[in-house]
Amino acid sequence: MSAEHAMSKASHAGQHTEDQHGLSEKGLKAGSVGLIGAVVIGVSCIAPAYTLTAALGPTVAEVGVHLPAIFLVGFVPMLLVAFGYRELNNAMPDAGTSFTWASRAFGPWLGWMGGWGLIAATIIVLSNLAAVAVDFFYLMLSQIFGNPDLADLTKNLPLNIATTLVFITLACWISYRGMETTKTVQYVLVGFQLLVLGWFAVAAFSHVANGTAFDATAIEPNWFNPFAVESFSAFAAGVSLSIFIYWGWDVTLTMNEETKNPEKTPGRAATVTVLVIVIIYMTVALATLSYAGIGTEGLGAGNPENQASIFAVLAGPVMGPFAVLMSLAILSSSAASLQSTFVSPARTLLSMGHYKALPRKFSRISPTHKSPSYATIASAVAAAAFYVITRTTSENALWDTITALGMMICFYYGITAMACVWFFRAEAFSGAQAFFFKFLAPLLGGVILLVMFCKTAYDSMDPAYGSGSSIGGLGLVFILGMGVILLGVVLMLVMAKVRPEFFKGEVLSRGK
Amino acid sequence: MRYVVGYSANARGHDAVNLAVSLALGRGASLDLVLVVPEVQQFGAAHSPRVGFEHLLNEQAQEWLDQALALVPSGVPAQAHVRSGDSDAHALIQAAEEFGADMLIIGATSSGIFKRFSIGSVASALLHASTVPVALAPHGYHRQEALTRISCGLGTRAGAEKLLDFALGMATNRDVPLRVVSLLALDGRHAAEATEAAQAAREYAEKHLAAALPVGEQEEVRVEAKTEVVVAQGRSIEEAVDRLDWEDGEVLLIGSSRLATSRSIFLGSTANRILRALPVPMIVVPSDYELKQQNHSASNDAPREAQK
Repeated sequence: MSAEHAMSKASHAGQHTEDQHGLSEKGLKAGSVGLIGAVVIGVSCIAPAYTLTAALGPTVAEVGVHLPAIFLVGFVPMLLVAFGYRELNNAMPDAGTSFTWASRAFGPWLGWMGGWGLIAATIIVLSNLAAVAVDFFYLMLSQIFGNPDLADLTKNLPLNIATTLVFITLACWISYRGMETTKTVQYVLVGFQLLVLGWFAVAAFSHVANGTAFDATAIEPNWFNPFAVESFSAFAAGVSLSIFIYWGWDVTLTMNEETKNPEKTPGRAATVTVLVIVIIYMTVALATLSYAGIGTEGLGAGNPENQASIFAVLAGPVMGPFAVLMSLAILSSSAASLQSTFVSPARTLLSMGHYKALPRKFSRISPTHKSPSYATIASAVAAAAFYVITRTTSENALWDTITALGMMICFYYGITAMACVWFFRAEAFSGAQAFFFKFLAPLLGGVILLVMFCKTAYDSMDPAYGSGSSIGGLGLVFILGMGVILLGVVLMLVMAKVRPEFFKGEVLSRGK
Repeated sequence: MRYVVGYSANARGHDAVNLAVSLALGRGASLDLVLVVPEVQQFGAAHSPRVGFEHLLNEQAQEWLDQALALVPSGVPAQAHVRSGDSDAHALIQAAEEFGADMLIIGATSSGIFKRFSIGSVASALLHASTVPVALAPHGYHRQEALTRISCGLGTRAGAEKLLDFALGMATNRDVPLRVVSLLALDGRHAAEATEAAQAAREYAEKHLAAALPVGEQEEVRVEAKTEVVVAQGRSIEEAVDRLDWEDGEVLLIGSSRLATSRSIFLGSTANRILRALPVPMIVVPSDYELKQQNHSASNDAPREAQK
């Protein structure tokens, strides 16, 4: 019996790579994500425990009791833009997302800035996530050991910066090694977050009912009226903050081939996700306002001391000994988000390197771990640098970074929405559906976001804006936001000199 | 004959390709270079749809595989495949089963700074689950010529006959000498005891070898002339391995530990220690693995390729 295979005598096939378009068919687990899975992905991308603790305080500072109204209104531009996002993703699926789409619609310069906005936003959120994780890390230690001094360690500047850098490094290393949070872990994290947030709300309402609340405030219908917000400035600031709390939701809309039913699952998942999120946001917002009021003293949600991280202050009085669960929920969700968010700027940088819009090394993929190697490390360095700068210049780094982040999201989402309108302009009037999804919705959403961006940018020049930190008479939020955008312009001009192909439109051509 | 090569675009991948070429040359086997890319998950990747990244990853993988194919000399037929999977080891085993491969070949090092062999995570995962023999290339393996000798490490556990059969088959098919190696760690025993132990080991090895040799008169003479039995001693297994002479074109066959479930590989502690000291490639054969590649075998078994 000879096992010599006939094939082995065949002509040398050495230089022929098996022709496989896209990934090998066997690799793609098509249709593995069901409705619940997709909702879990959506909720975990939003990370509600983290977004609430980070954004609730700053938003109350802007709009007071109209928090529920602003949280609801903030969803509208997000929804409108997400429709455009979905159209672009279907037409041009690409790791560069906003960068690629804006380049195809508006050419290299605006495209580059769109990509920069996305990278900047994710870098800023990385530094904020790490900082929140560090705060709750020390808070949890103090709750476990019953020693309040431990919680104050986070206020020790060198120690805080060192711990944050350790967290960023760890997340970067995990991401570099190509490890991803598994499905099971994600399910547990999401379930735990929702459970603890629900617990917090129930506990807060029962304090109100028992008369043990800090500043029991009766819920009024007026809280839901966005037009009752005192000024347009406050309204704009509130909306750009609440864009942040829905950021990540759009992912559910872009899941297609991996869902069991690509026709229906993404839409249903997006709907269910947003319902879950809105319900939890409303419940927690109302619970917080009813329990603590918006007073600027003590536990009040209007107290600037509390606004950087509202649950760090309120979880103890509201949940009693179980407050440690809140710390654990926020620590785990922000740590998981920290790791998963690393993927985003790394892939965008990789894509920009690939299209020759950044130096070649950004397009490196690690042969061993098959992850974007240089881009991941570059993101970590940028996030660490951003944190160190904000932390040392701001009185309240968390607050100011979140406000700057809201601005940055408005900026790149605005550009993305407009890219959709412009890219599809030829088909915009070909039917009612195309008109709505490719033209009207993204146009409205884009205009709203860009207006919010300009208004917030203008207002933030005031040194009293945000946490009240300022440099040279200009508000720190303005300096952070505009500084980042200006840095992008400078880098873009440098790149245009060093590697001009992309900027001559030779790599990504405009139009279809 | 097909060999699946676990390729990655680093030193480890090069080691594997070189060893695969050496192994294929004596047998006219064809190579399937398999590059495993991770399955890009939607779970845990906020603000970034995965589709585009998959595309870039795939493009890069094809480029890497083209480079890998260029490493293979023109006399050896080779094909390249991109596979995606969460676990490299799992994807390689699947590919080996799908192609009806007779061996899986990988680079074993993780760093190679301290030891010639320090098993990487993929290699160690493979050794726990593979149903076909796994060849491990040591760090910096650069030979691309046919093997010159086969060594077979013999323990005293059950399954030695199967392993010897496999080794004999390999040596006969490639027309190279077979050396049966018994490794003794004598940790501080007296000289007399040591001699006795060595004698026992030699007798044991010779007895098994005699049993494994083919019965045909002429055949026996031809094969026997090319086999030898060696007993290597040292204070430790590592020292015993060091004291043996190894040819550049040699490989060491080792049976997997009895801890393994039948037909899969598990590297025992002795094998692990051998691996650390070994300067040549090692092939770990699953327990109960039947050699179906002997040219002279009278077995009626269908070729492996035809079984699937």
